Amino acid sequence: MRRLSTSFPLSGLSFRFVLAASAVGFIAFTSRTPLYAQDLTPANQPALTDASPEKEGLVQEPDPVRRAVVIFDRRFNFGEVDSGPYAVVGKMIPGAGWISAGPGYRRWYAKDHVFVDASAEVSWHAYKTVQGRFELPRLADGKLLAGSQVRWQDFTQVAYFGEGPSSVRSDQSRYAIQSKIFGGYATFRPQRTLALDFEAGWLRPTIGQPGGSFQSGAPDTRALFGADPVYALRDQPTFFNRAVSVSWDTRDYPGHPTAGSVYRAAMTNFSDRGVGMFNFSLYEAEAARFTPVGAAGAVLILHGWTMGSDVASDQAVPFYLQPSLGGLNTLRGYTDYRFHDRDLLLFNVEARIPLMTHVDGAAFADFGNVASRFRDLDLRKNSYGGGLRLHSRRQTLVRLDVARSREGWMCLLRLSDPFGLTRLSRQTATAPFVP
Amino acid sequence: MRVSAALVSVIAAVTVIACVRVKEPSLRPTPAMAGATLWKDPGNLRGKDLLNGPWGRGRAPVADALYTFVEQKHTGTNPGMTVLDPEGREWSVKQIAPGALDVEAKVEVTLSRLLSAIGYYQPADYFLPQFRLKDGWGSHTEVGGRFRLKDEALKEIGDWSWTHNPFIGSRPYNGLLVLMMIFNSTDLKDDNNSIYEYKNGDRLERWFAVRDLGSALGDTRRLGPYKGDVAAFEREPYIIGVTRNRVQFAYTGFYERYVRNRITPEDVVWTSRLLGSLTDKQFHDAFQAGGYDHEIASRFIGKLREKIREGEQLGHRS
Repeated sequence: MRRLSTSFPLSGLSFRFVLAASAVGFIAFTSRTPLYAQDLTPANQPALTDASPEKEGLVQEPDPVRRAVVIFDRRFNFGEVDSGPYAVVGKMIPGAGWISAGPGYRRWYAKDHVFVDASAEVSWHAYKTVQGRFELPRLADGKLLAGSQVRWQDFTQVAYFGEGPSSVRSDQSRYAIQSKIFGGYATFRPQRTLALDFEAGWLRPTIGQPGGSFQSGAPDTRALFGADPVYALRDQPTFFNRAVSVSWDTRDYPGHPTAGSVYRAAMTNFSDRGVGMFNFSLYEAEAARFTPVGAAGAVLILHGWTMGSDVASDQAVPFYLQPSLGGLNTLRGYTDYRFHDRDLLLFNVEARIPLMTHVDGAAFADFGNVASRFRDLDLRKNSYGGGLRLHSRRQTLVRLDVARSREGWMCLLRLSDPFGLTRLSRQTATAPFVP
Repeated sequence: MRVSAALVSVIAAVTVIACVRVKEPSLRPTPAMAGATLWKDPGNLRGKDLLNGPWGRGRAPVADALYTFVEQKHTGTNPGMTVLDPEGREWSVKQIAPGALDVEAKVEVTLSRLLSAIGYYQPADYFLPQFRLKDGWGSHTEVGGRFRLKDEALKEIGDWSWTHNPFIGSRPYNGLLVLMMIFNSTDLKDDNNSIYEYKNGDRLERWFAVRDLGSALGDTRRLGPYKGDVAAFEREPYIIGVTRNRVQFAYTGFYERYVRNRITPEDVVWTSRLLGSLTDKQFHDAFQAGGYDHEIASRFIGKLREKIREGEQLGHRS
């Protein structure tokens, strides 16, 4: 769920230095508590079966790199397993800005049978979230988790470029979306690697003019796309959403997978409880395979994801809930949320070679597209690039990707793995749709 | 813009405050607590069994038993859990973190053996390289680690503070701090210390023990110190010198203030002679108990012996 990102809008070396120093200071200050809550509960952690040291890379790792990994690994550890106060860092959606942080508190009770969690976070672009969660994680001998979550979120400047694969970059607009979310969810795990997820809840979005800090200067979405059905309404409707999914996850470490697979199928239904014009269902299928290559620790990653909307002819999918591609984890040579439409198709291939023990070099290619009809989907949007991954055995700590597409170069800095597939640990629906 | 500027200012202010050097604490012993004890004369050191420790082989966890999952560990940076063995005994397991960057479990058991051998109280700690675990999905083999017995005879009643305790200024207390310097122990948090109640016949003893010893045997950097890293341990110097009858340590850890201008050469000599009385075999047994192989253990022991000699030489100087 860590979605800290940037495409480097900053200017001025000294400014960046102050920010970097502040971030380091923040980490140092909070070094008594875990920084990041990886969304793993005792119920869905993979079994710990390998205590062997990590493989050495092509060149010997300098001490500062190893030291940095030690520091980060101690802080970005098994996350939600820790009880007590914690600092949330970088759990915001793409587009929130290069850093986000806030306080959190979680506690386990009754030998892990009860879990409560509350947190708040604010980001560089003044995105804000507050959430509370209550879970019973060890029902049915640990095989069943049931929980509920309430969330308020305010995303101040989400990008929108219009619908369809032909949308142009110069049509970039921004909108603010505020949501109140309440839902319940359950996960049944008949086996450790097999999960059946169910969720149901209410989503109440409000669309407004872009705001927040460090604005891009892009116009209000209403100004460019005022004819969109979303703007035909004075207030956005309340949605009742239901989702069911099944996933088979054999990844060794979900935060930094080097072996195993994920297969997932999901169906989400949104029911418009207002004027009744936004009733639709989303169907998705996803697969990822992580194959170790050779003895040196190289990994070949293949990932595919497709999504289709089922919408009656008199209904529509509001643009903020439309499947979307572009940015950090999908088409890395394009900006976040670059393409929207009813259906999407994505294919990623990435090869990682250990340069040092905790630094991988990566080369990747992304192919995909969106379309209004499933049969029109193709892989014509593509991007290529390379990057570096600073990681521990269990977690990608920082990644720097440089990607090229028809629309130019993108430089991405993230605190997460591109194939962390945080969709698997989502508790309740969110708006906007996050690729 | 204003919100973000304010956020940056707050973070910068917090950074500055966090970096301000903490004033040396005023160290005075607190009033004695009934039955409180930090150390006992170990008697014949050569007779100590460091392989099985003070609680003996009889209490050790069985290597091939099937353990039942109770709950996850909710503190610290190493993964772990509470398990039940087939006899119904409850164990707190601190596992080796993936990638073995932080091998606290091995360090903890090894140092527990050394401390208990020379008279400092320790709970029943053992090391298993792996164990079989039964949970809701069946049984499988898990990465092992430190197994600490939750024994009814030894009741943990709370933490004790390095700066507020009845032993401050005593030779065993100063000796314990010297040992922390010898081991390059970097996490001298109060909540790593425990007071245990132990019924010894009719007498109720309150043991003041350093419970969590895992952050040691590496270097003593403030940010990201290595733990259980023999190369880092070998590199790190020990004593810088003696100023106004106080030993200056090379230790640069966060808790350096606990030893700054407080430890006399006599404290170091006393501790060095005590620890140095253990035989090479006993040292090797302690490291074997912690799961170290002979080669790595020999390097650790070599450096420990070097530090012990350095400490003993302070006696010759004075």
